[in-house]
Amino acid sequence: MEKMSDDNTEEVMVLESEIERLQAEVESLQHQKQEINKDITFHYSQQMENALVFMCGQRQEAGKEMVMSRLKEELEELEEDVKLQTEINGITLNSCTTKTLQNSGRKLVQQLSLSGNCSELVFQVEFQLSEIKQDSERSKRTIGDLNVVLDSSDLQNFSSFLSRVEESRDLLLFFRTLRTFSDRCDDRSRTFQQFQDKYPSVVTLPGGPRSEVMTVNHPKLPGCMLFIHWSVDVSREGIVMPKINLLTKIPERALQLFPSQAVGGAAEAFESLLRILGPEAALESIIQAVSLSQET
Amino acid sequence: MCALSSGVLSHLSLLEVKARSRKTQLQQQSRVMELKAKVEALKTQREQLKAQIQTHQVWGLMVVEANFCADEEEENMDEESENSNLLQLMARHTQLKDLLHAHHLIGGYDIIKTRKGKGACVSIATAYENVFLDTFNLEIDLKPTVKISRHNIPPFIPLNNLAEQNNMQTDLRVFLDTLSQHLNAFVGRKQQLKLVKEKHKSIEVMESNVLCSLLVLLLTVPREKTAVLCTLDYTDHTRCLPTRVHLESEDKQLPDSPQWKKNCTLLMETPVHKALITMKKMGSIV
Repeated sequence: MEKMSDDNTEEVMVLESEIERLQAEVESLQHQKQEINKDITFHYSQQMENALVFMCGQRQEAGKEMVMSRLKEELEELEEDVKLQTEINGITLNSCTTKTLQNSGRKLVQQLSLSGNCSELVFQVEFQLSEIKQDSERSKRTIGDLNVVLDSSDLQNFSSFLSRVEESRDLLLFFRTLRTFSDRCDDRSRTFQQFQDKYPSVVTLPGGPRSEVMTVNHPKLPGCMLFIHWSVDVSREGIVMPKINLLTKIPERALQLFPSQAVGGAAEAFESLLRILGPEAALESIIQAVSLSQET
Repeated sequence: MCALSSGVLSHLSLLEVKARSRKTQLQQQSRVMELKAKVEALKTQREQLKAQIQTHQVWGLMVVEANFCADEEEENMDEESENSNLLQLMARHTQLKDLLHAHHLIGGYDIIKTRKGKGACVSIATAYENVFLDTFNLEIDLKPTVKISRHNIPPFIPLNNLAEQNNMQTDLRVFLDTLSQHLNAFVGRKQQLKLVKEKHKSIEVMESNVLCSLLVLLLTVPREKTAVLCTLDYTDHTRCLPTRVHLESEDKQLPDSPQWKKNCTLLMETPVHKALITMKKMGSIV
């Protein structure tokens, strides 16, 4: 009897030490799992959970086919949603990577890296996002460390705004302004392109449709040119201001022969025209005047 | 009788010893079984965690790969692993959810279509500099015409005017962009006023309005303790900076002095709570 209880005690000790060993192993694996989760954020839905459970080799009623088809359905819904948000936001996002830097009970700090485009303007934005829980319902969200890279040629007008927005870390202002700036640039290129298509012999776009300059001249008067300079400026605080100016290049000889106000004072006259008719109509009337056509 | 009882007693005590040792034995055996069961449970947990870690690692790699191939319609032809298809779907799920979250964070309108496309709900997020502030919501009817049915936009924001001027019927986004501009500017001015009250307790706010488009401050010049009444007019409601700064003082010369002309420019170009800090540093005010 004594011997049996000795054996038992020994077995108990062996088992207890094995349990201790296993518990340490499990704890280290749990820690490892947490570390991996810092680099990739896992968004759970029922279908994702099913898929994950399936992947981990646990038995469940639904077979692989079912899990895949349900997940595919959910993916279709998500793709629709992304399309919807892209359309209403006027911003296309191509990639988003999130890294969790800190995740204690009340505070979450993440580093996000986004890339995408707004019409023709391509951007890369990196920022730090902190969320601090204030009470059960609300949390305070702040941006730390904002970094913006814009891949584009129309950028001199944008750079002072960009440095101000990186300083103030106003993420929302950046995207609002980007969208408005992009809309005004699109207005310009659409208008320039329309005029080039409609009056090909008179209108040229020396820098292409995305540039700031459109030239107007009659082929029979090669020395006389009108330059339309349409710039889209952005103030430091993010106000977008399109400005259209008319510059003339008329040879001295022509000015001597025709000393009328119409030719010499074209720039100021254009400003009034702009105020009365608006940019498109004002430009069209200039072009028509130069092309000496009766078209409307 | 005695002999019998002693026999019974000893028999009883023998039974008792047997019973006790049986009990101990059973206890030890059940303890052993308990421990064995625990060992099995921990082993299962360990295997499960190992499998999960492996899946998450592969999953993580696929998400990274999916991000790099964002522009290409690349189909992964590797059919070797029977689970790679499922992993690809899971990676795509994470990628799409991340994109939706990103749209939300950058101030997207979070549009939700309702009533089978006949309606929509949008949220307008606001922030001032790096702090996210209030969110405003609109419920919109899309059919037969585009009309706002419910909202929590403050009444001093001219919602209907903005809807008309921006052709809400034809371009919902442009209307929302303009509304967002107004709301963000309002929230920005409100936040500046809050910061003035918090950080500049020595400065009295004489007047302000709900739209935060007018601010009158009572400033004091050091030493002489002259009072300067500073009026900030924010007539452009899409901006957080004033369009006009007006100074009034008992000292008639003061507003025209070079120092105060500089202060005027400062107040036109810098958010008021920050301008006041600079003015204090320069010794213009207390």
